[in-house]
Amino acid sequence: MTGMFDSVRETVGPALFDYALSPLVKILVLIFMGVLPLISYLVLAERKILGFMQVRLGPNRVGPWGVLQPIADIAKLLVKEDIIPSTAIRWAYILAPCLVVAPAFVIFAVIPFGPSAAQTGGALDFFITDVNVALLFVVAMATVGVYGIILGGWASNSKFSLLGGLRAAAQMISYEVPQGFSLVIPLLMAGTMSMQGIVQAQFEQGRWFIFQGWGLGLVAFFIYFVAGVAESNRNPFDLPEAESELVAGFHTEYTGMRFALFFLGEYANMIVISAVAVTLFLGGWHAPFATTEWLSFLRLGFLPAGLAGVIWFSIKLSAFLFVYIWFRGTFPRYRFDQLMDLGWKWMIPLVLLTVFGTGLWKILQ
Amino acid sequence: MSAVKGFLDRIMLLDLFAGLGITFKHLFKKKETVQYPEERCEPSHRFRGMFRLDEERCIKCTLCARDCPIDIVYIDWHQELNPVTEKKEKLLDRFDIDVQRCMFCGLCEEACPTNPKSIWLTSKTYELASYDRWDNLYVDIDELQDWKIRPAYTDKEVR
Repeated sequence: MTGMFDSVRETVGPALFDYALSPLVKILVLIFMGVLPLISYLVLAERKILGFMQVRLGPNRVGPWGVLQPIADIAKLLVKEDIIPSTAIRWAYILAPCLVVAPAFVIFAVIPFGPSAAQTGGALDFFITDVNVALLFVVAMATVGVYGIILGGWASNSKFSLLGGLRAAAQMISYEVPQGFSLVIPLLMAGTMSMQGIVQAQFEQGRWFIFQGWGLGLVAFFIYFVAGVAESNRNPFDLPEAESELVAGFHTEYTGMRFALFFLGEYANMIVISAVAVTLFLGGWHAPFATTEWLSFLRLGFLPAGLAGVIWFSIKLSAFLFVYIWFRGTFPRYRFDQLMDLGWKWMIPLVLLTVFGTGLWKILQ
Repeated sequence: MSAVKGFLDRIMLLDLFAGLGITFKHLFKKKETVQYPEERCEPSHRFRGMFRLDEERCIKCTLCARDCPIDIVYIDWHQELNPVTEKKEKLLDRFDIDVQRCMFCGLCEEACPTNPKSIWLTSKTYELASYDRWDNLYVDIDELQDWKIRPAYTDKEVR
């Protein structure tokens, strides 16, 4: 394996290999073999789990247990007519879905799915890049995604879309603040902004950040996740696309593949937020109790080190995605004033206190 | 005190977790779905389904045809001497029901003087859809006695 990499590296030249070829291949593999299948099957899982929670079976006609349903869905969306309303603002209407999807995918670049090459002694980093301002990058990119929703709502030239877009704007502004602050807490605990560095810090401190610092980690994790649900426009915070009030909110006028792109963006955001939560609070790709000797079998030592990391990361990630679906199956939608109330009157003061407390913890340590 | 408790409940989000518990429990419950074309629900005993006729019991009085509010029961009969019993007997030539206009009011069943009824609607046959309105909805005597086109579920509850 290593020899093959080296020979390719020598043929194309080290610079080209390190900075163009290797990241490009990794991006393609990650998007087309990791994220896109995960999203399409996440839709199926959501329909299945929601069905089970409502004592139904969920999709089960296309293939055994409905496993081919995503493929049928994609085929259907691809052949649907692509309608652009004549009064829509054409360039913005076309741009909006791309603006939702692209930032969500870009964030995957900094998420460590497994250990780096140096840690395993292998040839492959299990992440695309490890930048030292990864956390800022995540926050910045997540914010760009909002513009797509607002733009889509405005460009459609429909009152339902516009209302959805306005709600998205208000909601995002309100919840970006607690989310950003809650990211400060793992940052304070780890002392670095690099995702890989935060994962390593949790390993070295022998404790996931959700359990670190007088329970403040738990509070921060809770705030991060609730704000994350609101950020990705999922139940119970799906006001921008509130079906019962706004038809379909910001994507009312979208059809076919453009509509599917909005959906893709929403699910990619779910995965991104879950992946960031796993990395920051749940020890990333490390096995649970990674420093406890008698539980060392959890580290899956019989597998290659990188693969074990990826497996643990996927397990934690799927737990989060299940919680997302579970929320959708349980909670009714918040009213708009309740949403604002929760964001500004409860979460922002709470997160400020938590940041303060974590600072104290850091000093007293 | 209750105000404090209510405040604490709200802070700890107890009701939200209770809700999550309920949905989680339902996740593992037995599913209620009936996979319709493969499996079917059996209707209750009082279900008013498609007609059935018993020619043996019928005395050819034509009361059902007369009571029908929209006149869709067509009966023709003639008299014949039975060679065995040497008695005159009424024989049916035709007993047709134009089901496409039927509203399943059941007046024909109520009008029937025989006991048990010779025409009744509790046959549990409910799959009456057809692609054409002239298709299978004009039923004759053979079909009324023996449902081959549409599944008849059970015949036990003859009154």
